[in-house]
Amino acid sequence: MNAIQKIGILFGLLLLIASCADKGNRNYQYMPNMYVPVGYEAYGEADILPRGQEAQLPAPNTIMRGWMPYEFENTPEGKELAKANTSPLVATDSVQIAENHANGSQLYTIYCAICHGDKGDGQGYLVQREKILGVPSYADPARNITEGDVFHTIQYGLNAMGSYAAQLDTKEMWQVSEYVMTLKQDLTK
Amino acid sequence: MSSHYEAPIREPLIIGEKSYHDISVDVGAPILGRANRSWYIAFSIALVAFLWGIGCIIYTVSTGIGVWGLNKTIGWAWDITNFVWWVGIGHAGTLISAILLLFRQKWRMAINRSAEAMTIFAVIQAGLFPIIHMGRPWLAYWVLPIPNQFGSLWVNFNSPLLWDVFAISTYLSISLVFWYTGLLPDFAMIRDRTTKPFQKKIYSLLSFGWSGRVKDWQRFEEVSLVLAGLATPLVLSVHTIVSFDFATSVVPGWHSTIFPPYFVAGAIFSGFAMVQTLLIIMRKVSNLENYITIQHIELMNKVILLTGGIVTVAYLTEYFIGWYSGQSYENYTYLSFGAATGPYWWAFVMLITCNLIVPLSLWVKKLRRNIMWTFMVALIINIGMWFERFNIIVIDLTKDRLTSSWAMFQPTFVDIGTFIGTIGFFFVLFLLYARTFPVIAQAEVKTILKSSGEMYKKRRAEHPNEPISHVDLDPTAEEPASNIQGSYFTSTDKKEEITTTDTIKDASKDDKINSLLSNVGTFDPKSQEADNLKKINGIGPVMERKLHELGIYTFEQVSKMTNLEYDMLDTITGEFPGRAKRDDWAGQAKVLKKN
Repeated sequence: MNAIQKIGILFGLLLLIASCADKGNRNYQYMPNMYVPVGYEAYGEADILPRGQEAQLPAPNTIMRGWMPYEFENTPEGKELAKANTSPLVATDSVQIAENHANGSQLYTIYCAICHGDKGDGQGYLVQREKILGVPSYADPARNITEGDVFHTIQYGLNAMGSYAAQLDTKEMWQVSEYVMTLKQDLTK
Repeated sequence: MSSHYEAPIREPLIIGEKSYHDISVDVGAPILGRANRSWYIAFSIALVAFLWGIGCIIYTVSTGIGVWGLNKTIGWAWDITNFVWWVGIGHAGTLISAILLLFRQKWRMAINRSAEAMTIFAVIQAGLFPIIHMGRPWLAYWVLPIPNQFGSLWVNFNSPLLWDVFAISTYLSISLVFWYTGLLPDFAMIRDRTTKPFQKKIYSLLSFGWSGRVKDWQRFEEVSLVLAGLATPLVLSVHTIVSFDFATSVVPGWHSTIFPPYFVAGAIFSGFAMVQTLLIIMRKVSNLENYITIQHIELMNKVILLTGGIVTVAYLTEYFIGWYSGQSYENYTYLSFGAATGPYWWAFVMLITCNLIVPLSLWVKKLRRNIMWTFMVALIINIGMWFERFNIIVIDLTKDRLTSSWAMFQPTFVDIGTFIGTIGFFFVLFLLYARTFPVIAQAEVKTILKSSGEMYKKRRAEHPNEPISHVDLDPTAEEPASNIQGSYFTSTDKKEEITTTDTIKDASKDDKINSLLSNVGTFDPKSQEADNLKKINGIGPVMERKLHELGIYTFEQVSKMTNLEYDMLDTITGEFPGRAKRDDWAGQAKVLKKN
């Protein structure tokens, strides 16, 4: 057997070993000692728990520290009552105002602008591409929106719009609401 | 042929009427012959112990270190005790083959092969413990600084445990190479002696085509010397590094600057004890009493006595410093009053008895030369040195600084089984070695046969003036007549020159001598002193004697010689014609005269 043949065999063996790795599957592991969690991880599966998942619902009517339930119901009456509601964010100086504005702007761009448009004129990407229709402008006189009204809508959703309470916490929802009001001002100017 | 000078005070190292051939036969016998029943019995016992040890190791690794008797206070016990013990045992082999080579100790030749085999097998046993005492031995390769995918995460070079890795692996590899190079001529001897084709094939491979040419031997010697020079600092450093495992810590009793030399001395002490244990059995079993003599055993006992003395001094120092330091913690160290009266008093007593008291008996020559007693003492030292390591490790850990963490250690059967397993493994390797390897470096022993062989020593004692040829007499070289006396090489000894030239004085030359002396002047022994005429280039003892016969004793006389006198001298002596003229004796004498 000459040297070239030997090298060829070696190379072939290497190829053979390399072919064992499968991109469609997890790769081989050497002694996975602390790779798999012993504790329960948030989104993991767990056969022993209801619905087979580790994320479980809290008991109804419990209140966690640092959070209060929203006092208005998800009804037309509740919405009417919420109109008079105002933002609890107390901005005492220009720095805080700017911060609320900036945060609201960022969150709005992430969660809202895709449909409502960056300016709140109802011309988001999805509307422009006619994926969805019927997104109103904030300046629509038929919808005389207020801060509390916007908050209520983010909290529960309205008609085709879903709730954003899962994405944003209470403070962030007020910041977005305040930002929406500034957008409305800019549109009606 | 100049005669070999060997002090008659030295005892012979090879007993019996051995020839080179006998040595080859004796060394080759265990390999070329068949194993006897006792070998099989011993091998079976060792193998069983080895397999049991493997079982214990597998059980430990697969179940966890918790199967040992360790606890949170005492994290090291039998594992590291055995490790240090085995490493220590391994030190004698390199000491014998390297340090004794540097000191030109010829008695090492009969024992170095087996001592080095012992080193290698003991280091293999030692090397097991650092792996199996790990919690995750399968990640042991992390101790090596290999570039990797953890952002090239490296080892910390500040830990003596890492130094251990380098020390042990280097020690093993150097010892192995040293041992193997020494084996080449001996493997070649087996290769050339065996008639079995399989054996021939194997030993041909093992001997690397050794043909024993002059250049090979020359390089062989150089390599041996260089490796010996390398191995010597290695021996000292390896056990020093092992001692750093303890000495660099803050544990009372461990934190001690005496550890490096003291551990090395202890290693040689225990190593020689193990060599004694093995060789006393092997010389009997393999019929090597003629090569491993009482003299060897006594010399090894002397080394044991020396190193045992060093260890004793270290014990006393430790004991003294423990008291002298005034540190309350030092009262619970392994060599302290607290240890002697504490729960491990028996280990303390074992240490003192086995390492300090029993070896003292070797000061008695009768006991030193008593094989049974030596064997007993060697065994006791092996036990004692195990206890030394046990005491250092365990006693110092049991009572550390916080009383709330004081604890005791109780070994489990796995601790003990692993240790027994390594002993079994060691003997498996050693017994296999004894049947397949030339257990005596026959090539080296052959070099001392004629200087230290009993027969040759006796012959020299009986005929002190007869030069003993170091070359085998070649019968064909005895022809022609010039070699009639049987000397292979024609001699150029000065003694013969003197005897061949006799008197130059006879009456016919008297007038020539007189005229020569009248030219150069006469010598008056009353007023003048004779010069050392041999200082003149060209005048040797013979010529000086002749000049004296003529009456020429001084440089003054020689310096007056001219071509005429040179010729006269030549006709008188009749030898070396023209020599005096060529060498310009007169010119030389003039220079010497002035000085």
